[in-house]
Amino acid sequence: MVFVPLIFPGLLTVTIVIVVLIWFERKLTAKVQLRYGPLYVLKPLGGALQMVADLIKFTFAELIVPKGSDKKAFILAPILLFTLSLLPVIAIPVSSKYAAFFSDLSLLIVLSLLTLTPIFVLLLGWASDNKFSFIGSLREGFMMMAYEIPMFISILAMAVTYDSLDLKHIVETQSSSLWGLILNPLAAIAFFGAMLMTTARYPFDITEAESEIVIGPYTEYSSVIFGLCLGASYVKLYVLSLFFAEVFLGGWNPFGGLESLHPILPGVAVLAKGVIIMGLCVFMRSVYPRYRIDQALRLGWHKLLVLSIVSVVLSLGIVGLGVL
Amino acid sequence: MAKPKTQRKLIGADVVGHLEAIGTGIKYLFKPRMTLRYPEVFQDFGPNYRGMLKLYTDKCISCTMCARICPSNAIKMYKTDAKKYPGITYQRCIFCGFCVDICPVDALEMFGVHDIAYYGLEEQVLNPEGFSKGPPIEEKPKKVKPRLDAKRGLRYERT
Repeated sequence: MVFVPLIFPGLLTVTIVIVVLIWFERKLTAKVQLRYGPLYVLKPLGGALQMVADLIKFTFAELIVPKGSDKKAFILAPILLFTLSLLPVIAIPVSSKYAAFFSDLSLLIVLSLLTLTPIFVLLLGWASDNKFSFIGSLREGFMMMAYEIPMFISILAMAVTYDSLDLKHIVETQSSSLWGLILNPLAAIAFFGAMLMTTARYPFDITEAESEIVIGPYTEYSSVIFGLCLGASYVKLYVLSLFFAEVFLGGWNPFGGLESLHPILPGVAVLAKGVIIMGLCVFMRSVYPRYRIDQALRLGWHKLLVLSIVSVVLSLGIVGLGVL
Repeated sequence: MAKPKTQRKLIGADVVGHLEAIGTGIKYLFKPRMTLRYPEVFQDFGPNYRGMLKLYTDKCISCTMCARICPSNAIKMYKTDAKKYPGITYQRCIFCGFCVDICPVDALEMFGVHDIAYYGLEEQVLNPEGFSKGPPIEEKPKKVKPRLDAKRGLRYERT
């Protein structure tokens, strides 16, 4: 069972997906802005190894711990942040036989583990002893309240629809009925918006806001630990995309039959769906400018929250009418 | 005073706006790029481009007009055996072309080259000998000319 967290869909797959995703994000943004983007690292493939080069550069950079910082928290917080961002992978089954462990409450386990991560962003902003870090982590604190409630309520809507908190059961229900995206599009939209906010994608990269507060909570970081900080939001995006694929896009359907060949094969379908969602999320970077914090909070509280509550009502209607 | 009327939007207006934004992004995804791969492809600047200078010592009559007209004091006269010849420092030169215009015997010429890298600042100070060598002109592989296109915006043509 070490295979799941370490290789697929865990650490190794995450690293490969992230390296490709960041390159894809930069290339896509460049294409929309009518320019080339990364080019010179492995030129025949359009600079595909740019992120590998960056990763090597991060690894060998000097690790600087500022004098005024709280050293234990400063070093431990990013490590815990990254680990906790990746940990929900164990509870996401990628086929009906393949997961680190099956639980009746896997839906809740994934979300509750992800809920813990903003605490470490707050902690590392506090430990850095830097005003930009502190402002950045305060912004994360504000945002956290705005996105987590709509996210949980929209998932509550889906749990009501499928009458289950088990991801495996949810996906199996979708094999015989419509996919969640069609059953309850409002919940999907609310969850997608909250997902963009959670993972600090544009237009909600208010926490990092390079042009305003350097890079927010991670200002004082360098070397591998900085890589972990930046990687954490992409890992969160990966986990939430897999989660989205399972709850709204039918998981391993319609390829569940491949399970008889090898239990991992349906997981590739889940991964493919997740990667499409991730691609959509990073595409937002080329379309939107950054929202102000008050605009983002208004969107969270006034629109996403209302939308998610309406989606619960819609789900109750679906269950009441016995559509499923 | 009358209250300014707040414009009431329909509930769907936001959604339409977001969809339009994403649609615009997708539209631009399939447009041709407008930038050049600079060190591999060069833009042809045309015949009147003001670039780096070359001195023809055989034509120069040491009148010092170029040094006097130079607005940024980039040209300085150097004393060699009998005559004085101008030298130039590219730390100061603003490529205005006044020296070329004022030279009574056309001893200075401008080339369409401006992108030369030096290892140090002192290398940018050229005495008459270095000045008379002119800028190193490489045979550039691909030259293109920008054209304004009504449909595509910028378009590059091979020359």
